[in-house]
Amino acid sequence: MAKNPLHTKLCDMLGIEFPIIAFTHCKDVVAAVTNAGGFAVLGEAMHTPDEIAADIKWIRSRVGDKAFGIDLVLPASVPPTGDLNELKKKIPETHWNFWLDMKKRHNIPDPKGQVALHQWGGLNQEIARKQLDVLLEERVPVICSGLGNPAFILKTAHERGIKVFGLVGKARQAKKEAEAGVDAIIAQGIDAAGHTGPIGTFSIVPECVAVAGDTPIIAAGGVTTGKHLAAALCLGAVGVWTGTLWLASRESDNDMIIKEKLIEATADDTVYSDCISGFPMRILKCAWTEEWAKPEAPKVLPAPYQMLLSSDYIQAANDHRRPDLMTEAAGQGVRFITAMKPARQIVFDMVEEALATFEELTGAAAE
Amino acid sequence: MPSTSPSQPLPVSAGFDPEKAGKRAECDGGGPAVTAKYATREDFAGTLTGEYVDHGNPPWRWYLMVDLTRKPEGYAWDSVWCESESIYLIDERK
Repeated sequence: MAKNPLHTKLCDMLGIEFPIIAFTHCKDVVAAVTNAGGFAVLGEAMHTPDEIAADIKWIRSRVGDKAFGIDLVLPASVPPTGDLNELKKKIPETHWNFWLDMKKRHNIPDPKGQVALHQWGGLNQEIARKQLDVLLEERVPVICSGLGNPAFILKTAHERGIKVFGLVGKARQAKKEAEAGVDAIIAQGIDAAGHTGPIGTFSIVPECVAVAGDTPIIAAGGVTTGKHLAAALCLGAVGVWTGTLWLASRESDNDMIIKEKLIEATADDTVYSDCISGFPMRILKCAWTEEWAKPEAPKVLPAPYQMLLSSDYIQAANDHRRPDLMTEAAGQGVRFITAMKPARQIVFDMVEEALATFEELTGAAAE
Repeated sequence: MPSTSPSQPLPVSAGFDPEKAGKRAECDGGGPAVTAKYATREDFAGTLTGEYVDHGNPPWRWYLMVDLTRKPEGYAWDSVWCESESIYLIDERK
């Protein structure tokens, strides 16, 4: 019998059955994927240390001793000052007027409550460090750094039996993190949802494999099907990091309107635009992205001004559940999401298709 | 050991690293995009002053970069704090 092509180094490292990692902001998805034999990572960048501790306890109550991960956005650069109220005053009048005109034409209501961005107050070194300390204290099985290099925390994490993964958008970042001793590197291509590096998944993955030595590489960006999983392994990855795939799953706490939009969407319904945050990110098209793409639109402001400008719109769209206004980060593989399936089924469908793909390629049956 | 409990202030100490002072460098920087729950990536290039700040224990070191020759369009400041492992020294690049 041929070796099971889906049993990779990642499976041994994490004690999982399938080399599929779900990145999600929903705890129920974490539990479902973990219990289905995959691995799941909960994004906690926006949460307080107390909320993170509570979420970890909840996950443990659902998955027992199985491994899971927590993802934080460790900043890699910070401006000398960052008072959001002061920044808001610097947004030009032309941009406020463009937003107010758009608001009138699209009949966009005011947000129902306080805008989450304004309550949250930003992320600096101190807040990120305190988030991280909770993960160390709780001995979370895997810490993922969604942006900055986690080298400074490696020794402490490893002493506590915690594995550390880093997400990169360039090969030189992968090389540096590998040399520092991270346990695995997620190489993310521009096909991914949200903010990404500038390189496509098919290029960034083998580039990182080439420079990372023995450090395992996990492929991210547009990965939605079993064929993608098979392709990623052929590129030298030990597994895949998937995000969009879970947004319309039955367990996901996303609004049903967003789930329906994701199920109907193709790659053409996503746009790589800087109009939400000031940085290019891939999201579903909506009234906001269409307005800022018009020739008469003012030039998009740099971060953090543009995200201060868009925050009322985003909050109003979600508060009032307006399908024409709502958006969500989505990768280019979104067209392969065609139904609201349980996360467990998504894992099994992906595995089945990947195995069938390998069988087609090699003509050999897997164990 | 982690540096603090969530309610305690984070230990912070500043210093100067003469080895880094005056070095030209690039920084693969970035931070969170709050409204979207995801990270952003920002590229900077400039000169390190050698000043640094360590946050917490074990220390998370940040260097000050000035005389920025590359920064995101519209970046409103003349300097940026860069995480030490996200810095690439230009003159030592292979």
